Amino acid sequence: MKTLIKIKPKTYAVGDIVKIDFMAMHPMETGMRKDKDTGALIPANYIDEVKFLFNDTVITKMVIWESLSVNPLFTVSFKVPSVGTLKVIAKTNNGQSVESSESITPKG
Amino acid sequence: MERRSFLKSFTAAAACVAVLPRMASAADEAKKVAGPNEMSYATALAAITGGKAVVESAKVKVEAPEIAENGAVVPVKVTVDSPMNEKEYVKAIHVLNTKNGNARCANIYLTPANGEAFFGTRIKLGGTQDVVAIAQMSDGTFLSAKQNVKVTIGGCG
Repeated sequence: MKTLIKIKPKTYAVGDIVKIDFMAMHPMETGMRKDKDTGALIPANYIDEVKFLFNDTVITKMVIWESLSVNPLFTVSFKVPSVGTLKVIAKTNNGQSVESSESITPKG
Repeated sequence: MERRSFLKSFTAAAACVAVLPRMASAADEAKKVAGPNEMSYATALAAITGGKAVVESAKVKVEAPEIAENGAVVPVKVTVDSPMNEKEYVKAIHVLNTKNGNARCANIYLTPANGEAFFGTRIKLGGTQDVVAIAQMSDGTFLSAKQNVKVTIGGCG
């Protein structure tokens, strides 16, 4: 699962509220769609949990259901407290998990 | 007399037309496969609030397109106008739909570290319906807002 973290705007200071975009390349199968050739149901495979952590403290936890679009996007706000590391952990209903991180470097 | 019989037959025909699509859609619904997480909107709402009252409020804003050409990708943004400090903050934002097989989209548990109560994503909608956001405040109250989205091509299936 490929992931991408974007922080908007690119430059920010301590105390600023920034938007964190987390994108994951994932099919988000609902388990109700049928294979076009065989007619068999495609098993459900979707991201069911996303956690945002700053310096290993949870800032936002999300419980996700299959009604999110393919290659889902999650945006949250974050008030920058200091220099640190932002970590995002995404888990799927099949027990797969992916971890990605981004450094938070406020200027000024 | 002629006019009266014409009117009678006309109203009968109109009634037929009105009933037919309803019958067709009921048959379609019976054909649908029940998903693994099938849950109605009423059940999902009760599970979140635990039977507490939900107040529609202008503090909660749901930004979604009024007309979505493609139901597979509908951008949704939820903002809650509230302070975000230890004493008073938005505990959670719940995004629901009213007509998908599973009425739940996402439950977002926020903390004061977020600075503001905001959540943005893209969801799938199977047809024209409401997107509802429920904000769970730190004092235990629930605020809500909704936006009707007209879907031209469904996004499930």
